[in-house]
Amino acid sequence: MSDTSDKFIELANLKKSFVLRNFFVKDEDTGKRRLYRKTFVHAVQGVDFSIARGEIFGLLGPNGAGKTTTVKMLSGLVKPDGGHVTVDGLEVERYRQKVLRKVGVVLEGTRTSIWPLTPLENLAYYGNLKNVKGAVLKERSNRLLDFIGLKDKKNVEVRHLSRGQKQKLAICIAMIADPQVLLLDEPTTGLDVQSARAIKDKIIEMTREHGKSVLVTTHDMHVAQELCDRIGIIDKGKLVACKPTQELLGNFSEQVYVFQLDREPELAALQALPGVLSVERELTVDGPAAVVSLQPDSEVRSRALYAVVETLARGSFELRGISQRQQNLESIFLQLTTSSI
Amino acid sequence: MSFLLVMKAEIVQALIIMRRYWFRTIIGMVMGYGMLLVLIAGFMVSRKEVTDMAVGRFGDAESATNFVLGFIIGMFAFGIVGMFTQGIQGMASTGVLEQLCLSPHGLITNFLARSTVAGITTCLSSSFMVWLVTETVGGQLYFDGLALASVLVLTFINLLGFGFMMGGLVLVFKQVGQVAILIRMGLFALAIFAKEELLHKGWAMATFVHALPIADAAILLKWILISNQGREGDNMENYVSAFQHPSMFFLILSCVVWTGLGMTCFKLMENWSRAKGTLGTY
Repeated sequence: MSDTSDKFIELANLKKSFVLRNFFVKDEDTGKRRLYRKTFVHAVQGVDFSIARGEIFGLLGPNGAGKTTTVKMLSGLVKPDGGHVTVDGLEVERYRQKVLRKVGVVLEGTRTSIWPLTPLENLAYYGNLKNVKGAVLKERSNRLLDFIGLKDKKNVEVRHLSRGQKQKLAICIAMIADPQVLLLDEPTTGLDVQSARAIKDKIIEMTREHGKSVLVTTHDMHVAQELCDRIGIIDKGKLVACKPTQELLGNFSEQVYVFQLDREPELAALQALPGVLSVERELTVDGPAAVVSLQPDSEVRSRALYAVVETLARGSFELRGISQRQQNLESIFLQLTTSSI
Repeated sequence: MSFLLVMKAEIVQALIIMRRYWFRTIIGMVMGYGMLLVLIAGFMVSRKEVTDMAVGRFGDAESATNFVLGFIIGMFAFGIVGMFTQGIQGMASTGVLEQLCLSPHGLITNFLARSTVAGITTCLSSSFMVWLVTETVGGQLYFDGLALASVLVLTFINLLGFGFMMGGLVLVFKQVGQVAILIRMGLFALAIFAKEELLHKGWAMATFVHALPIADAAILLKWILISNQGREGDNMENYVSAFQHPSMFFLILSCVVWTGLGMTCFKLMENWSRAKGTLGTY
C-alpha cells in the first residue's frame, strides 16, 4: 500500500446534479397528464477521496450510483456543480488542458478506436492528438501493443478484433501519451474471464512498474478485490465506505459469526437481542447453524456475542462450535448498498 | 503547432482510409465524374446545339453555367457543414468524440484541423473533376488563379464559422443533427440561386443576402468563373480584379462575423454540454 498522504488526485466535496426535462408526462401521484416536468437527479453528492501516486483505487457502486459521473468530472468531461477536483495540484476546471496531458481515460464501451484503422494506426492517430510524435510515438506504440498482448494484431483492422482486444487497445490509446493517471471506467465489463484477468494483470503491472495512479470503476468484485489497494463504495451519489481493501474486508469479517448447533435455532429470540443486525438459518454438512451479523462497534459487538451465547444456553442448544465468517467484497458491497438495489 | 499536428493526423487517417477502401473511393470519383459530366459538359463548351439546349432549359447559357457552379459550391458547403453536424453526431455515437474531447489540444483545434483537411480534399477532388470533365468535352477554362484561390479560402472560412455554430448546437442538442440536414439543403439552394442581381433589389434584400453565409462567396465565385473569364482574345480586355468587386468586402466581413459568432457559440455550447454532462456522448 502506498502512502495515502501523497494526494496525487484529490476530490473534495464534489457535487453534480442533472436536470431531466419531460414533456407530456403522466404524473404518477395524481394520474394527470402534465405539459412539462423538471426533475433533479443528484448524481454525486459531496464525494471526498484522494488517490496517491502508484495507487490503484477502486470505485464500486450499483448502476446509477455516480461512478461514471465522478470519472468524467475527474477528466473534465463533466463540469461539477460544487467542490474541487485536483490532479497533481492542478484544479481540473481551471487547468483542464494541462490536466488532460497527465490523464488517460478509458470510458465504458469499446468503440473508442477507429474501426477501419489498425491498432498501430489508431495509436499513431491518437498519439498525434495527444502531442506525441515521431520516433517516440513509433517506439511507444510498439511497446504498448507488445505489453498489452496485441503485438501480432497490430496490423489487423480493429473491426476484425474481438471485444477483449478492442478493450486492450482502448487502454493502449489511453496510455499513448504516457499519462501519470489512468481512469478506467468498467474496463472488464462484457469480457470473458481470461480477458478480464489479463487486463487486471496488466493494470497491476503498469502501476507497480511504471508508478501510475489508477482509478478503476467496476462491477466485478473479484477483479476489484484482487486489483485495488483501496476501495470506495458509492451509493446514490454518496461515498458510503472508503478504506484499504484488506481493512475493509477485515472490518466486515469481524461482524459475522457462525454458531454451529445441534438443532435449528429460534431466529426471533436472537434477532431481538441488542447489537444483533440480522440472523439467518443455514444448513451445513455439520448440521444447522445460526449466522449472526453484529454491529461493528467492538463494545456493542462484545455484549451482543455474550447475549447470543446466553440465549442459546437458555434454550438448551448444544453449541458445537463458533467461527468468524470471512467476508468477500461482494457481500460487503451488498450489505452497504442493499437498500438501493 | 497543435493545429498542424492534428491536421497531420487527419490527413494520414484520410489517406489510409482512402487507400484501404479504394473501391469505395474509385466508385465515389466515378460517380462524381459522371454527375459533373452531365451537369457541366453541356455548358462548358460553346457547341451550338448544347448552347441552344441550355438556352431552351435555363433561358440563357450563363444561367445554366451559374446553376452548375452553384451546384458545385453547394456541394462544398453541404460537405463542410455536414462534417460539423452529422459528423459530430456520428462520432458521438461511436465514442470517438469523447476521445477528441479528451485531447489536450481542445475541441476547437481538433475540428478546425478536421474541417481544413475535409475542405482541402473537397477542393482538390472538385477541381480535378471539373478539369477532367472540361478536358473530356474539349472545353477550356480561363480564370484568375489568385483571386479564385483567395475566394475559395474565404468561402471555406465563411462556412467554417457557420459550421462551428451548427456544430456547437449539435454538441448540446444532438437532435439538431437532423434539422441540420434541412439547413444544409438550404445552403445548397442558396449557393445555386445566389446571383449578383439579388444585391440590386433594394437595401433590405441586399442586407439579407449579405447576412447569409456562403451568399457573397457564391456570388463572387460565379462572377470570377463566369463573368470575369473569357476565351483568349474574347473578353479579357474587360478583366476586373476580383479584389475590387463589392462582394469581396462583404465576404471578408461575413467571414469575420460568422467565424467569431461560430467559435463563440461553439465554445459556449461546449461548456453548456459539459455542465449538462452530455459532452461527447449521444
